[in-house]
Amino acid sequence: MKFLLSFVLLGALGLVYGQLDRSIMPKPAPAPQIQIKPTETWTTANGITVILSENHKLPKVSFDLTLGSGATLEGEKAGLSELAGSLVMSGTSNRSKDQLDKEIDFLGASLSASASNVYLSVLTKHLDQGLSLMADVTKNASFPEDEFKRVSDQFRSGMVSLKSEAAGMAGNATVKVNFPQHPYGEVMTFTTLSAISLSDVKEFYRSHYTPQDAYLVIVGDINRVQAEKMINAYFGTWQGPKPVTAEYKDPVKSNGNQVYFVNKPGAVQSVIQVSFPIPMRMGNQDQLAMSVLNDVFGGSGFGTRLMQNLREDKAFTYGCYSGLNNQDLGGWISISGNFRNAVTDSAIQEILNELNRLLSETITTPELELTKAVKNGSFARSLERPQTIARFAYNISKYKFPEDYYRNYLQRLESIDAMELSRMAKTYIKSNNYNIVVVGNESVLDKIKAFDSDGKVTTLDEFGNIKLERTPSNFSTNEILENYLLAVTQSTSLANAQKKIKKVKNVLQRSELRSDKIPFPLQSYSLYTNKGVRADRIEFNGNVAQSKYYDGVSGYEKNMQTGKTVYDELKMKAEMLENALFPELLWLRPENARYLTLIGVEKENNKEYYVLQFSTGPQNESLHYYEKETFLKGKMVKTVLKMEESFSATTEYSDYRSVKGFMFPYQSLLNAGSMTFTQKIDEILVNGKVKVAEFQ
Amino acid sequence: MKHWLAILIATGCAISLRAQNKINYVEYDLANGIHVILHEEHATPIVAISVLYHVGSKNENPSRTGFAHFFEHLLFEGSENIERGEYSKLVEKNGGTLNANTSQDRTYYYEILPSNQLELGLWLESERMLHAKVENIGIETQRSVVKEEKRQRVDNQPYASFISEMFQRAFPKHPYRWVPIGSMEHLDAAQEKDYVQFYQDFYVPANATLSIAGDIPLEQTKKWIEMYFGSIPSGQAINLYRDQLALSDDAFKIKYGVAKSDVNAKNPKLGTNKAGNQLYAELSARPMVIPRTTKDNDPLKQTIEDTIYDNIQLPAVFMGYKIPDQKHPDAYALEFMNEILSGGNSSRINKNLVEKQQIATYASSFNYGLEDGGMNIFLALAKDMASLGSLKSAFDAQIEVIKNELITEEEYQSVLNKFEKQVIEANSSVAGIAESLADNHVYFGSAARVNQLLDLYRKVTRADIQRVAKTYLNNNARVILYYLPKEK
Repeated sequence: MKFLLSFVLLGALGLVYGQLDRSIMPKPAPAPQIQIKPTETWTTANGITVILSENHKLPKVSFDLTLGSGATLEGEKAGLSELAGSLVMSGTSNRSKDQLDKEIDFLGASLSASASNVYLSVLTKHLDQGLSLMADVTKNASFPEDEFKRVSDQFRSGMVSLKSEAAGMAGNATVKVNFPQHPYGEVMTFTTLSAISLSDVKEFYRSHYTPQDAYLVIVGDINRVQAEKMINAYFGTWQGPKPVTAEYKDPVKSNGNQVYFVNKPGAVQSVIQVSFPIPMRMGNQDQLAMSVLNDVFGGSGFGTRLMQNLREDKAFTYGCYSGLNNQDLGGWISISGNFRNAVTDSAIQEILNELNRLLSETITTPELELTKAVKNGSFARSLERPQTIARFAYNISKYKFPEDYYRNYLQRLESIDAMELSRMAKTYIKSNNYNIVVVGNESVLDKIKAFDSDGKVTTLDEFGNIKLERTPSNFSTNEILENYLLAVTQSTSLANAQKKIKKVKNVLQRSELRSDKIPFPLQSYSLYTNKGVRADRIEFNGNVAQSKYYDGVSGYEKNMQTGKTVYDELKMKAEMLENALFPELLWLRPENARYLTLIGVEKENNKEYYVLQFSTGPQNESLHYYEKETFLKGKMVKTVLKMEESFSATTEYSDYRSVKGFMFPYQSLLNAGSMTFTQKIDEILVNGKVKVAEFQ
Repeated sequence: MKHWLAILIATGCAISLRAQNKINYVEYDLANGIHVILHEEHATPIVAISVLYHVGSKNENPSRTGFAHFFEHLLFEGSENIERGEYSKLVEKNGGTLNANTSQDRTYYYEILPSNQLELGLWLESERMLHAKVENIGIETQRSVVKEEKRQRVDNQPYASFISEMFQRAFPKHPYRWVPIGSMEHLDAAQEKDYVQFYQDFYVPANATLSIAGDIPLEQTKKWIEMYFGSIPSGQAINLYRDQLALSDDAFKIKYGVAKSDVNAKNPKLGTNKAGNQLYAELSARPMVIPRTTKDNDPLKQTIEDTIYDNIQLPAVFMGYKIPDQKHPDAYALEFMNEILSGGNSSRINKNLVEKQQIATYASSFNYGLEDGGMNIFLALAKDMASLGSLKSAFDAQIEVIKNELITEEEYQSVLNKFEKQVIEANSSVAGIAESLADNHVYFGSAARVNQLLDLYRKVTRADIQRVAKTYLNNNARVILYYLPKEK
């Protein structure tokens, strides 16, 4: 005590030599005032919202133009926006690319463009020249043929080298598995790149590069009067169509943990990404609370749960972080890190444990306090950059954050408590419904199987597409169909098989459907008759939930929720050709050969299958898998296009048993998006007494 | 119509390179040798506190490569007064951020804190300098973490081994032959005496530069610095103090000839033992001799060509020429030359190899300048079936041109404009300013260089650029590495 006192006294006199008590951590001085400098926002006559953040500390200015168009599905031309964006700077109607490059470099400026953005950063004294270049590429890009070829080639080389870039491959896999049928889940491949033409690129630019709903964020050494004058001079006459936008559903993941593997031969580490989509787009009111939860978990810094556990305690990695992504059309969380091969499985286990801990335990006060302090600090530090203040104004305007959101950011942050975080965890994290992507050495493959809910690892290629090991078939399409018919009818010649099938008057199947999403089993009845009737009925508790009837002349579906849908011509045709008792018999007819494609031999789970594709058009495709040894059907994958979105349903057949000389699968596993059903046959009646009317 | 570019060049108005936005600072030495640099600005209520130790991988024992970087990791473990694992938490808990990095030449630690936590930052860094504490558990953990860092940043990254492959051939006799990440076998072999020795040799006041920038009360800051850093023992007394904490009574007595209890290194003013006091005074006055390396500006005797097989898809070529150390007057002309060759889309290498001939997906050249020497490196990733020979020839052709012809007036001014913007942008954050001041003091002997950089570039003439190209890009004395995909 005496010592402390003398320290205080001496300190006050400025005599501090050797008298310092180092065991006492210094106290902070009074907290400084955090001030957010004001910005100005206005809209131009041609529809551009301008945000100005004045800052005269350095003699430079940046102009950041974000177009009003959003991401849209590109399908077979996936990557169009990326390619078009890279070509915007390839020359204009006033300047060749060489000229443009030279002029930009001469100013010492940076000017860059992408599918949705043009950015200029320049010293104040060169602003006029800089803006004339920016306006030129924004309004007059010319897309010369030779540059289109050259840049396409560059993309091709980039795709070649992708195989050596673990992080790139992991990123592709993660977006693909989280965002099926969504613009965020599209990845350019060699095939899609080849499908993009120069006129596609020009059309993209024409439709996307428009002033309407665009934002122009100006930061730096310029005032409002000057800014208005510049915008008027360089963008005042710019006109264009309504921007391109489309709405997409937030993906829902509920099929359990799925493990995806991308092979990187020779890898000494596995890149692991555990991810899942969340229905939280930019501007969501839960965003701040969720970001606090994510920061406790693994946001940034050394103090997070992931870092403390996986780095500081276990030393599995140099770094492991969790990223919360909130974008215009969707959100997701992705936990990622690089881990040596030997601990790949342990690392996944720890990540899953930490995720589950978020659901089972409340965040402790010290953790919450630490995270708030970290966020508080990073907010204060971010204000050093004038771009930050401009971004605040942009978010308020574009994403409709409350007007006072950033002014009261620190108070909002302070008010978040552990209860709120528990609510976030329960709302947005679905226990054991994660996509686990591993990019690494094949030696880790066996160890990661156990994390998949059905024990199957899906192998993806470098673009995130399912990698199929296909070899050419030694049989023709017809030979495969014939062998299948021989197998299911247990015949030795096709003539015998046909005879046998002709004798069938009807088949009635009674089965039970179970799903872990539904607390009770469903009863299912299916009927086939030689008069062409195919009917299904699904019941629960004696009520008909869903039914289907088709008799060759007309057909319909009934559903408790959506009512009755009468089949159109297309659907009638599909029913006729696909839903017979043994449709393969119909496929053998020469007039139907055009619907069939022999895909080849595919290996899956140590079994080999002949794969045939049946397709009456892009809206209706199915893949049929015939087991190589027995020729019995092991699997069918059906893809249906509905409202411009495609859905695929997989049915796996097993437990084949003989009934009256026919082989029927007694067990089927149906997987359609988020739902999985197990179907078990109770009884199959061949040529029994049936009442067709019961199905009508 | 004359293009505005031509007009600018003709009138010369684009080259009004007056030094703008001067960085103001004060600098002084503490009695124990710590060099202090302070930059005060109040635009944002934050402060960057940094300590640069003039020790990097080039100061390592050749059988302990990677040690300087490993040691950097260990210095986050704690101190006499900071529990293991608390160091970073104290910073983050108080709204700050922190990190460190290690190069061949230096180890740099920093915190960025809200400005009211300046004193905390000073305390933390002074604890690290005075009596950092490393426990076995921390050593083992960080050893594994560093190995993961190497796997992530080098082994699993395509082409990432090229710096190491280049320097081991160009600097066979200088410690630049190994890279900061070093050898994992060497880290495994490291023992306690290595840690003690490294700390005692290099983590001493006379080898440290304390650089602070941001929202600081200048006079109060000086007082705090005196309090936290001025109280660190000077000369060899710092290690007397550390030995008193670490050694057993017997070992201490053997080393110093007096009993541990005779010395009051913590509070020398309160010491009562005459022999102890005398020893302390003697050692305080005896300066630390910090082991230094010597410059290696020896030219290569011949061209070395080798092939490296890596986990890559696109073959690549890397060519390296030895250049003088970064303090050499020719360094500016060399930087200039690289900008002409590969700075920006309009640069010669990009236009020729990537856009016109389309033999490379990426091509560039850069100057890897270090304290004791450096290399000028050219690299290109082959496109499609382009041969590595064609890439090398294309580089050689560009090198011939820059050796034989003056660059154009337009190219010259274009690069100056770019340097001007870079110099201005380098001063946009207080963290950047703190680092830049410290670097300039340590490497160039003058923090003032931050405000002179533009003038130094302006002094370079077109003839200088041609001269340095001729002098240093000697095609009979270079390292050429061909990277090819490993057979699968």
